[in-house]
Amino acid sequence: MEVKLWSLVQAVLSGLLTGSLYALIGMGMALIFGVMRIVNFAHGAFMMLGMYAAYVLFDRVGVSPYVGFIVSAALLFAVGTGVYQTLLRRVADRSDFMQILLTLGIAQIIIGGVQVVFHGDFLQVNLPLRSINLRLGAQIAINLGDLLAFLITVVLALGMFLVVMKTRFGRALRAIAQNRYAASLMGIDVRRTQAVAFGLGLAAVGMAGGLLLPAFYLYPEVGGQFTLKSFVIVVLGGMGSVEGAAIAGLVLGVIESLTSLYWGNEWALVVDFALFLLVLSVKPTGLFGSQRV
Amino acid sequence: MTSRNRIPTILAVGGFGLCLLVPLVVHQDYELNVLFRIALFAALGLAWNLVGGYAGQLSLGNAAFFGIGAYSLPVFHRLGAPIVVALVLGMVTAVAAALVIGRVAFRLRGPYFALATIAFAEVLRLSAKNLDKITGGDVGIQVPALFASDPSRWFYWSAVALTAAALATTVLIVRSRFGYALQAVREDEDTTLACGIDAARTKLLAFLISAAFTALGGALYASLFFYIVPDQVLAIEISEKSAIVAMLGGAGTMVGPIVGAVLLETAQELFKNWFQEAHQLIYGVLLVVVVLFLPDGIVGSVTARWRKRSAR
Repeated sequence: MEVKLWSLVQAVLSGLLTGSLYALIGMGMALIFGVMRIVNFAHGAFMMLGMYAAYVLFDRVGVSPYVGFIVSAALLFAVGTGVYQTLLRRVADRSDFMQILLTLGIAQIIIGGVQVVFHGDFLQVNLPLRSINLRLGAQIAINLGDLLAFLITVVLALGMFLVVMKTRFGRALRAIAQNRYAASLMGIDVRRTQAVAFGLGLAAVGMAGGLLLPAFYLYPEVGGQFTLKSFVIVVLGGMGSVEGAAIAGLVLGVIESLTSLYWGNEWALVVDFALFLLVLSVKPTGLFGSQRV
Repeated sequence: MTSRNRIPTILAVGGFGLCLLVPLVVHQDYELNVLFRIALFAALGLAWNLVGGYAGQLSLGNAAFFGIGAYSLPVFHRLGAPIVVALVLGMVTAVAAALVIGRVAFRLRGPYFALATIAFAEVLRLSAKNLDKITGGDVGIQVPALFASDPSRWFYWSAVALTAAALATTVLIVRSRFGYALQAVREDEDTTLACGIDAARTKLLAFLISAAFTALGGALYASLFFYIVPDQVLAIEISEKSAIVAMLGGAGTMVGPIVGAVLLETAQELFKNWFQEAHQLIYGVLLVVVVLFLPDGIVGSVTARWRKRSAR
């Protein structure tokens, strides 16, 4: 009985560790959806780009991904504002269809581009840090790398939350999310704010990519599953709600971990999507409250 | 007026007749298989177009029906059903699935609908991977051969026939009261409701028809490949491509999906040979260019320009 209890605690803990990264990915997606009303089908592809950036830093310069994620974030912020100015800006007034098709095309370009440069090989980063397990008592073990990633993520997510809720820029973001036209009447430069928001959303997913790199094999299509996961997260959290996405990411991590424990790893994603459909059909505004950024 | 209306029909019948004659000139299996894929995706695009183009509901989960059609063939066949019966059962199962999916997903609008359809298809894909006692899981399952002799030709012919049937269905629907209701839903769902049209039922019916055609396409594809795994026939790429060929050619136009399938499949095949590793990159660039410069698709943009000119 006691062994079962400990494995439950262990599962919840490791779920929270993974979930923190999901939260970061979801927050980026929610920010983009809230401010631009665009469902970013290239989210996972951008994350993969962040992973490759961290990989190159590690491989060529020897910088640990737990530091290199900062470069991933900066790179993706630049890419994000660039992509907004050259492509997304032009479809701002088009149908959902066209916007989704465009992000699908962007995803193909990123994946295809990485394929050309790095080929399809599986790459891996081996960190000595990740072979250390912190033991809490006899039953609980926490990987030091995962813990470090978790702590960094918590700081980043809090920072992002403060930017959105407390700064002047964040207020502009929320105003645009509520009513784009009224925001422009209040003197907010909608285009510029959206460009920065898209850059920030991608920076968040880029950071997550860098922090996830040590735990994953890296190949050009690795992002696809995270695009799907980020859909689940933003729907659970309420489309466009950044703090909702943060909570939903943690919840999703724990649910996946518990599913793995009781039903087996292969059912974790099925439960994700089943939950997603349940929320969509019962409470489309998400588990955590109403729509806002 | 009647003679003018007949011209497109004659052109279409003649065109499909010519397509049926192609195997007289093209003999290689490889080339016939490429032509098969063109015809298959034309049919999938036409099926998608009923819901995506005419009813304006962005479905990105048609892989669910494709996969159901594909898996029904071996699964029901193993249970003792003759191949033709398995084929029909596949369509029936897909329509039943569409009924369930539609009931839930059509309560949602815009991007929410698209996400819900993706989720359903993903649940099916992951379940097919896990339920290996029924589907063979990732190891795969052998699919009975639909055609014993000269398969490449027969698969090509059946795909062309499927496309022709899908086009004929589209024409019949678009000219019917039901077709007008569909397009009314696309233009303004609330007004449609106010006019006394049951929008939910209209969308659902289109979805069911779309599912039946998609399932048949899946069965053809599976039988040609002889051996299938979930990541192949239930892949999100199938859903995306069904939508992309239709939007490339022109969503909500009758021949758009056919034009889109011919262009996209040909381009992809050529890119694979010319650019090797870069083919996906080029494909992405193509997609972006279409969205930015041909937002109504090729057929849509051409007819819009033609109308503008004749209006002068």
